This record gives sequence, C-alpha cells and structure tokens, in this order.
Amino acid sequence: MSLTRALMAKLRDQLAGAEAMPPPPPMPAIEAPPSRVFPTRRAQDRRTQQHTTALLGIGHVGTRYATDVVLQFQAELAVAHEAVAAELPEGWAEQHGLIPVRSRVADHREFLLRPDLGRRLDDASVARLRERALQDVDVQIILADGLSAVACEGAGLALVEAMEQACLARGLRVGARVGARFARVWLEDEIGQLTNAKVAAILLGERPGLGTGDGLSAYLVYGPKVGNTDGDRNMMSNIHARGMPPADAGVRLAALAAAMIAQRTSGVTLDLAKVDAPIERGYRAPQVRQRLVERP
Amino acid sequence: MILEPIVPTILSVRRLPNADAALLTAYGADPSRHAALGLVTCDQDDALYVALDEATKHAPVDVVFARSFYAGAAHASGRLSGEILGVLAAAEPQAIDDGLAAVERCLAHDACFYDADGKRTVTVFPHVVGAVGHYLAREAGIAVGEPLAYLVAPPLEFTIALDAALKAADVRAVKITPPPTETNFACAWLTGDLDACQAAAEAFAAAVVDVAARPR
Repeated sequence: MSLTRALMAKLRDQLAGAEAMPPPPPMPAIEAPPSRVFPTRRAQDRRTQQHTTALLGIGHVGTRYATDVVLQFQAELAVAHEAVAAELPEGWAEQHGLIPVRSRVADHREFLLRPDLGRRLDDASVARLRERALQDVDVQIILADGLSAVACEGAGLALVEAMEQACLARGLRVGARVGARFARVWLEDEIGQLTNAKVAAILLGERPGLGTGDGLSAYLVYGPKVGNTDGDRNMMSNIHARGMPPADAGVRLAALAAAMIAQRTSGVTLDLAKVDAPIERGYRAPQVRQRLVERP
Repeated sequence: MILEPIVPTILSVRRLPNADAALLTAYGADPSRHAALGLVTCDQDDALYVALDEATKHAPVDVVFARSFYAGAAHASGRLSGEILGVLAAAEPQAIDDGLAAVERCLAHDACFYDADGKRTVTVFPHVVGAVGHYLAREAGIAVGEPLAYLVAPPLEFTIALDAALKAADVRAVKITPPPTETNFACAWLTGDLDACQAAAEAFAAAVVDVAARPR
C-alpha cells in the first residue's frame, strides 16, 4: 500500500473508533399497500358462485381480504355463535301442540359440553311419553332444538307438517308429534323405542355454519333402540329456504321412511336406489350470499 | 465511509511518437531534445500532478505541460477532458510508454482524493510524496528526492486545515496557492523530513473531516 493510503487508513480507523456507533444502515423503502381491491377474474369462480354461498372468488387487497369481506365474515360468524347460544324457550313445545320431552342435561351449557347426556331422556319425559304418545306407529316424528334453536323455531313446524302430510298420503301411521329440548340426534332411539315405532325421524337444528344459522337436519333410523349407531341412520341436511325447502324435504323424508319400512333396514344397508324420490330437481335460482353488512 | 479513497479515473491516454516541432514548442518542449509526447487526461488534477512527477522517477521523461481546467471535472468541455491535461515529452517513444505506465500505476494505487464527509460532497487530498521527482522539485523549488506534503482541500476547509498542519509538525510551506484556483480548490506544498510531512498530512486530513462534520 502506498504511503498516503496507509496513512489515511490509520487515520480512518482512529476517527471511526472515536464514534460511538456506526451510522445505521438506510432503511429499505416499504411499499405502500395497494389501495384497490383486485377482484378474482376467473370465469370459473363466477360460475361456481351461482351454485353456492361458500366464500369463493372474493378477491384481495395486496395480501389481505377486502374490508367488506372481513366484516361480512365476522358478521356471519356472529350469527353462527348466536344460533349456538340460543335456547328453545321453556314451554315452546306445548304451545305448538307437541309432547314436550327433554334430555337429562340440566342447562344449556351442560347440553353443549355433555353430548352423552343429551342422548337420553329424563325420567319425567319417559313417563310423559308412555302416557301420551301413540304406540306401534310407522313413523315417529320428533322436532328438536339440536345445536340451533333458531332453526327449530323457524322452519321446524313447517317441516313436521310437510313430512306428516306426506307420510299420511303414503298410508303410513304417524305418531304423536314430540318436541324435544336439549336434544342430540341419538335421542330418537329412546323415543322411538318407547313408542315402538318402525321408523324414528328427528328433525333438529344443525350445527350452524357461516351464514347458515337456520339450517335443519333430519335423521331417520329403522327399528329405533338405544344402542343404534350412526351407521344405522340416514340423514338429510341443509333444510332451509336457500337449501332444500321444508315442503320438498318433507316429501323426500316420507319417501325415505317408506323405503326403510319396505326394506326393513336403514343406514348403510339401505338401498337408496330403490327410494322413489318424487321430486325432480329443476331450475335452481342462483345462490346469493345474504349481505349482513353494507359495503363500505 | 469517511476518508475512503476516491480512486481517480484516467479518461484518455494517447501517444504522439513523433510530434510536429511547432506542437512541441507550443507545449513547452524542446524540439532538439524531445520527439515523442504522451498525453493523459484525468478527473482528479492533483492526483495527476503527483502521478506525472512519479513518471519522471521511472523513465527519462519531462513533464512539459500540466494544467488544470476551469471549474473542475464536473464542468468539463467533454467526456474525455476531465479536469487536467498532462503532457510528457521524451526523446524516445519507449520512454513515453514507461512514463505513462508509471502514471497509471500511481493513479490506481497511490495518489487520490479522499472522502471527508462520507457523502463525497467534501473531499481532501492530503498526499505525501516520499521523494519528489524533478518535476515537482522544480515546481516547488526544492531538491530532487526531498519529501513533500501535497495538501488540497476546498477553500475554508483548506485554511483551517493548513493552519493545523503547519502547527502539527516541523514543516515549512514552500508554496501556498489560495483560492480561487482553476478548480476552485486551494493548495499548499509543505516540506520537512518525512515524518513531519506525514504528521502534517494527517493533521490536515483530520482537520478537513472535522470542518466537514461541524461547518459552523
């Protein structure tokens, strides 16, 4: 190294040593997030959206969802939470002409935490059924709250009416309507056993999803008895205005019950090809996600 | 980084193996002794003055012409002009080649300006020539082989720093060129023994850095 270069290198080290800290490196420039929403452009998404209310093709803002999508999501989640937390009012079954029964759980919190207790009737309900229910029926229809009392209060009675009429039209003997509180699906086994029904059908509010706090499900079992498993059951879900309308569902459930009685079985052993599904699925209106928040 | 070398760029190097006598005369050469010329332009004038002097130590060449251009390399008359034209003259083209090689070596590895504020907005040339060749010896009026502190800085920085340099060691000012010069820097040549010249150059550079950091 040259004389002067060496001299300056030494001086440079001295001066640098005198400084407490080297200057901080320059900060990299952080890009501002894009200010506009980039909608999804795939035609496939737009076509798919007509058939479902699922969150598809919602676009993005940078790496985030758009604000209105997030608000809608939170609102729908709140609807679901509310449906789970809702309770069927005391005395609702009597007021609507149902035989009131309830499971062994003490309150709504215990109902959510103890599925096993929700599957058995308490002693008062057993006595009431023995006293008031029709015995040796073909179809025992039970309306229950399940995980969404909102759905039960909404379309529940309409579905019971539709199914009962359809069963009667097929010449089936229908039991007295039962309204169950704090009920899980398997409660139908004990009720059906007590009424000695060939088929027990429980119609209950299903576990709420995003935007569907009002969906009903129906679970049918042939030869109800305590100890049946889910493999012995057939079910139909999404019975609500935007899915399967209750009037159509009642007709289909009656057909299913009739097939169970004809084949003397249910669940995985039931031959669904022989169910005479009477309803033609024709045109279905495009699915529109109900907006719970206004677009900002 | 402060006091980082700013390596000079040689913008053009050309040779005239047998220049016209009129041209030789115009550039201050003696047609009876000189035939070949070597021309070089550079973007740092003081570095090239030192480099031209270096050439006289390595080859039988004379520095017949070396002048800075007005307002420096940032205001050059062309892409290849820089801020200085240096002309070496010799009897043989081979001597020109050797001299130009020494110039390029010196510019690449020795003489250069240094960054005084970390942003290259203030620069300083605190160069120590260990033993001057006959070009700088003649210009400075000292004997060939004596050490020389070649100190350049912008006007105010120069004034403060030169005072510090003169007081830092037992040195003697042989030439002080106050501003404005062609490139608007100011220049001083100090001599003494080698240690004194180094101490003076060091004090000069440190003072320029200090002024650049605290201008008021």
